[in-house]
Amino acid sequence: MAAVEKRRQAVAPPAGFTDSGRQSVSRAVGAAESEEDFLRQVGVTEMLRAALLKVLEARPEEPIAFLAHYFENMGLRSPVNGGAGEPPGQLLLQQQRLGRALWHLRLAHHSQRAAFNNNVSVAYECLSAGGRRKRPGLDGRTYSELLRRICRDGQAPEEVVAPLLRKVQCRDHEAVPLSVFRAGTLTCFVLLEFVARAGALFQLLEDPAAAVADRRVGQAVLDTLEGALQASDAAAPARFLEAGSRLGPDSLALALDRAVGGRRPSAPMTREEFLERAAALFIAKVKPVG
Amino acid sequence: MSRVLVPCHVKGTVALQVGDVWTSQGRPGVLVIDVTFPCVTPFEGITFKNYYTAAGIRVCQHTSAHTPAKWVTCLWDCLMPDPHSEEGAQEYILCDMARISELHLILQQPSPLWLSFTVEELQIYQQGPKSPSMIFPKWLSHPMPCEQPALLHEGLPDPSRVSSEVQQMWALTEMIRASHTSARIGHFDVDGCYDLNLLSYT
Repeated sequence: MAAVEKRRQAVAPPAGFTDSGRQSVSRAVGAAESEEDFLRQVGVTEMLRAALLKVLEARPEEPIAFLAHYFENMGLRSPVNGGAGEPPGQLLLQQQRLGRALWHLRLAHHSQRAAFNNNVSVAYECLSAGGRRKRPGLDGRTYSELLRRICRDGQAPEEVVAPLLRKVQCRDHEAVPLSVFRAGTLTCFVLLEFVARAGALFQLLEDPAAAVADRRVGQAVLDTLEGALQASDAAAPARFLEAGSRLGPDSLALALDRAVGGRRPSAPMTREEFLERAAALFIAKVKPVG
Repeated sequence: MSRVLVPCHVKGTVALQVGDVWTSQGRPGVLVIDVTFPCVTPFEGITFKNYYTAAGIRVCQHTSAHTPAKWVTCLWDCLMPDPHSEEGAQEYILCDMARISELHLILQQPSPLWLSFTVEELQIYQQGPKSPSMIFPKWLSHPMPCEQPALLHEGLPDPSRVSSEVQQMWALTEMIRASHTSARIGHFDVDGCYDLNLLSYT
């Protein structure tokens, strides 16, 4: 990074752009000056800097593929695609924008709040840019489509996320401000993680042979979670302590034990049903839009 | 425990001097503060703020009731460890005593460095009523028993792993519950919908 930004010294050759093997200093100075200027004028310096910053922020597992995607998206940004033929139709442009926005949104995990917020802003700008036949601003239809795509690509079952989408979607003609956009996308990503956790939890509860769980056990766990989520009158720290004591291993063990001892076994609970009921607990706490 | 201030009357400081007050020009080095009480109430302690007093301070208590009244020294020579330095010069002091009816505070000038010396914010208090017990939440006053109950049933999942997953799910939900936006949705203007002619007919 420092090599990209370093200003050329008065006499010595610049550190970044010349080979260390150059012999003649004066020739190196003259050539390097024009090289660096050329790169800066074309905008490559700034672009590379932004690309490296993005890599540092996202820390991808495959940096090369990541950079390839990044530059591909950069290329789509310019309205004229290399001057080939007529510009793409409105629908295609919309899909491209959506794809790009989704790519931005996936760069950082939602828990990396600062990076995530940055990416949300970029995605919002990308979607709200005015076009030839498009007013600036994000309309409800695009926003809802984006949320659906996020949930679909996150491999959450349709029935599980449908109630959330109903809560946070916007109508087609409504204009979505940035804060609503940010809240909606964050909620979707958090729900995806929640569903993943619920899936892992179900794996702990299920009978490996039958791939279903004892209904009493599943219900007891869901009931305990629901109890811990009940809004109590106490202020925040006391509420957390209380939830922690309810959800601790000892307390849970007792609850499970009581559940199994109390009732006779009934119809088993499937994974889908468990996920749906768990997600319902989450979605109940989401504030609807507007 | 709460304190109840006992009303008292603090008389002004009186300098103790040897000889005639007219002849000696210097300022005295010993002051006496006399504290009287309008009604005899047993009190528990005094607090005051020291102000450069005290090579020593004698607090004389006059214990009443059973024994004949006598004066007892409570505090002596401990307010300022080094009389010439600042240490302890402006501290708050608290003394506990029992069953006192009269009080003399005898102040001594600690050193010639400190020209004025006194005690401030003198307060006498007695034991107040005990504060009402805090109402603990139910779950705090009935803690879980320490020993892990033997699982009666087999085939139950590992509670610590279940607990870990459930706690994470709880945390995610709490985070979403806490975050909210108060922004309102806007509307795109639909061309012609605010046409005056149309509106007048609705």
